[in-house]
Amino acid sequence: MLTEIQEGKTLNPVVKHITQEKINLYAEASGDFNPIHVDESFAAKTPFGGTIAHGMLNLAYVSEMMTSAFGQNWLSGGKLRAKFKEAARPGDTVTINGKIDCVEQKDDVSYANCSFECRNQKGEVIVAGEAIVKLSIGKR
Amino acid sequence: MQGNTVNYEELIPGYEFSPTSYELSASLVSKYLQAVDSAGDGFVPPLAITACVIATMAGSFSLPPGTVAIHASQELEFFKLVPIGAAIECHTRVAQKITRGKMSMLILELDIFDQGKEKVQSGKTTIALTT
Repeated sequence: MLTEIQEGKTLNPVVKHITQEKINLYAEASGDFNPIHVDESFAAKTPFGGTIAHGMLNLAYVSEMMTSAFGQNWLSGGKLRAKFKEAARPGDTVTINGKIDCVEQKDDVSYANCSFECRNQKGEVIVAGEAIVKLSIGKR
Repeated sequence: MQGNTVNYEELIPGYEFSPTSYELSASLVSKYLQAVDSAGDGFVPPLAITACVIATMAGSFSLPPGTVAIHASQELEFFKLVPIGAAIECHTRVAQKITRGKMSMLILELDIFDQGKEKVQSGKTTIALTT
């Protein structure tokens, strides 16, 4: 977990390699068998030209970064808004980066406002968004 | 879990899906943690709950033939942790439906409660449909 919550602080990045096996595992775990994720012949005929990872899989990696930085404050007091901008595909390596943009105080409660991005190995943004974490009362 | 399938055309703003219940078993959590390559911390990862809810939701309506559904954006708010083995109930409704040319957007709002009727998380899912 972060020992200092301050503006500009970068969060420890998370790096993951996407494989079709991981996508299939995610489909089984979530129950999301949309053929765009798991059926290579179907996906080949779509504008994507092949299977793509579930957006929620990438978001799970974002949550891993946030959990690593903020622990239970994230898991039981977090808020996020994410846009899935590009598809992550089997063979991609995605890196999730984030930083604390500002720390706000509202009614004696501190909130860390963060921004995050998930990029592939070509530098393309796959997911981008903002997250807010409710910190301990009075903590700054 | 929900068994009925609704036609996409029937989904209008304000439409409420039948509430769905889930048991967040140890095996479900273990499968999820393996899939996302994470060690876990003794609780159900909030995104495991969201993932199951979205998958059920997406499977509860039928798309027009030849349509591909893609998750376009997600908003989430977590209120409390859920222990492994707990049961939850999800309430979902259609917030908006937008059509622009060949692209449609379906925006769904969800609220998830634990057995004590306390809110666990809420969210907004945007699904893009394209041909």
